[in-house]
Amino acid sequence: MSKIIGRALKKDDFVEMPDDHIIICRCEEITKGEIRRAIYEGMYTMNEIKRYLRVGMGLCQGQTCNKLVKAIVAKELGLDMKDIEIPIPRSPARPIAMKAYADDGYMR
Amino acid sequence: MERFELIVIGAGPAGLSAAIEAASCGMSVIVFDENTRPGGQLFKQIHKFFGSKEHKAKERGFNIGKNLLNEAEELGVRVELDSTVMGIFRNKEISVMKNDSVKHFKGNSIVIATGASENMVPFKGWTLPGVIGAGAAQTMMNIHGIKPGNRVLMVGSGNVGLVVGYQLIQAGCILEAIIDAAPRVGGYGVHAAKLARIGVPFYMSHTIKLAQGIDRVEGAIIVEVDKSWKPVSGSEKTLEVDTICIAVGLSPMSQLVRLAGCKTLDDPKKGGIVPLCNEYGETSISGIYAAGDVAGIEEASSAMIQGKIAGAAASKDQGYISEDEFKARQKKLENSLLQLREGMFGHKSTAQVTHTDEGYELSHSLLKKGYISDTELSHYPGIPTEDDLKDGLVPVIECTQNIPCNPCQDACPKGCIKVGDNITNLPSIETSVKCSGCGMCVVSCSGQAIFLVKQNHSPGYGLVSLPYEFSPLPDVGDIGYALDRLGNVVSKAEVISIKKTPVMDETAVLTMKVPSNLTMKARFFKPAMKEEKII
Repeated sequence: MSKIIGRALKKDDFVEMPDDHIIICRCEEITKGEIRRAIYEGMYTMNEIKRYLRVGMGLCQGQTCNKLVKAIVAKELGLDMKDIEIPIPRSPARPIAMKAYADDGYMR
Repeated sequence: MERFELIVIGAGPAGLSAAIEAASCGMSVIVFDENTRPGGQLFKQIHKFFGSKEHKAKERGFNIGKNLLNEAEELGVRVELDSTVMGIFRNKEISVMKNDSVKHFKGNSIVIATGASENMVPFKGWTLPGVIGAGAAQTMMNIHGIKPGNRVLMVGSGNVGLVVGYQLIQAGCILEAIIDAAPRVGGYGVHAAKLARIGVPFYMSHTIKLAQGIDRVEGAIIVEVDKSWKPVSGSEKTLEVDTICIAVGLSPMSQLVRLAGCKTLDDPKKGGIVPLCNEYGETSISGIYAAGDVAGIEEASSAMIQGKIAGAAASKDQGYISEDEFKARQKKLENSLLQLREGMFGHKSTAQVTHTDEGYELSHSLLKKGYISDTELSHYPGIPTEDDLKDGLVPVIECTQNIPCNPCQDACPKGCIKVGDNITNLPSIETSVKCSGCGMCVVSCSGQAIFLVKQNHSPGYGLVSLPYEFSPLPDVGDIGYALDRLGNVVSKAEVISIKKTPVMDETAVLTMKVPSNLTMKARFFKPAMKEEKII
């Protein structure tokens, strides 16, 4: 978590916004409202939000929505975009069929 | 496990160039790409490139791609397609998925050249079928031969939006409008002018509010934004479109860079998260390089140079070329790269440019509406004076912004056109030299900004020669309309000649006859519809 995120975080009540129904993460079909609500429920980092909602865990692995989610987090928490870390990437960096993973030719 | 001296991830302009440079030094190189076809975005780029000869200026992207591939093949570079690099681990090991199995490779050095992906902008209805990235539209048209839609709205006026917008029209779509939330056209003025003269309206300081439709796009509502980017209520306009193209910038594909553990920084000027690199493109991990858009969004010409530098650096690391040899190569490449980064669109410039390097005021209407107004036109060095026009045939160069490009200078066999050593200079015309009317400058200008004008051809009529890249090509004798710089019909026009030879590389020079007083206004020929009567 960024050092800026300290004690002074969102504690007021969640208020619905007119554009909350807009989908932000297309792959996992997560809306702006769901992401905003997660922040109010205490998910302050993009890694937490990812694990909470599966944002950025679909086909594009966050390549499309990371920037969009980041903008929402920045706005809700009053932070600068550059101070927010995007989720840690992991291998496989691309979606992969389990049968391909099962056929790992490491020793061959 | 297989080991190579150099592993390149991504077979785009940067990756292939790195591979070629390294292989030419004698290294064993393997290139992976997840796509079925190599070349990255090059093979869908059908427009002529900017730059100078050494940057492959006036060549079309897909031809540059073909040449890179041939060169790589001749040098024995192994290019593995349909091969997705899924992971990158310690000691320069990577895992690659191909044909439903995973293989591992090790490299002494790795060049990451994974490119970029398109940004999206969320608005109501953005997930409807019909909302697509501009790059996706380009892929559909130029790779798969599919028309993305009939009536299109382009969101974003950067070079991608402008270039793809033009290609949409070439493919037979109607481009209803180009909008941009910024107050000025983001891309090259010459690209914008190509669209404006066909009649595409530009709405700067406008954003998309929503896409209409239940299960597909049936329309779009755009709205003006004020200086603080807030929508101005009551300024909404409805556009009847079935396709909305999004061209709002690119983001580096930096997952592998981060997986490798390279230090990164979030640099909005470079498009997002990019690896921290030294001057040779080496990341914080020794032996891992980044080149091309993944290291910061630019364009294919600079990606190729960055790739070469990385390839040369890796060759030096492994002793294939000496320190001195590397320094010499690097210096030459660095200069070539710097040239591309000069000018008002270069990534060094941050301030809002108001004047050209030469001190000419920039055309306001070009930045706002996509065309140079009649009153502004005469300011620039490529525009002949009234007296020059009386003399006969003269070139008119409507190039008014400092962009790195100079093929026009070499194109003229008579030496009528001068750019000078600094390739971002505005071209000027030397009217003491008689123009032969060969049209080579017209086709060499990647921005299609050069016209040949003869004010007095026959009593009351003059000639305008213009670059023409639409099919079907009109026939000599065809009657149609002459359009001015903003796409309005100003008179009827007759096609006097069509010139198209192999050396012109698919750009035809169309000469039309228009009233003498309109030779400095008429800039496009619009064929009449079949059986349409022209009065």
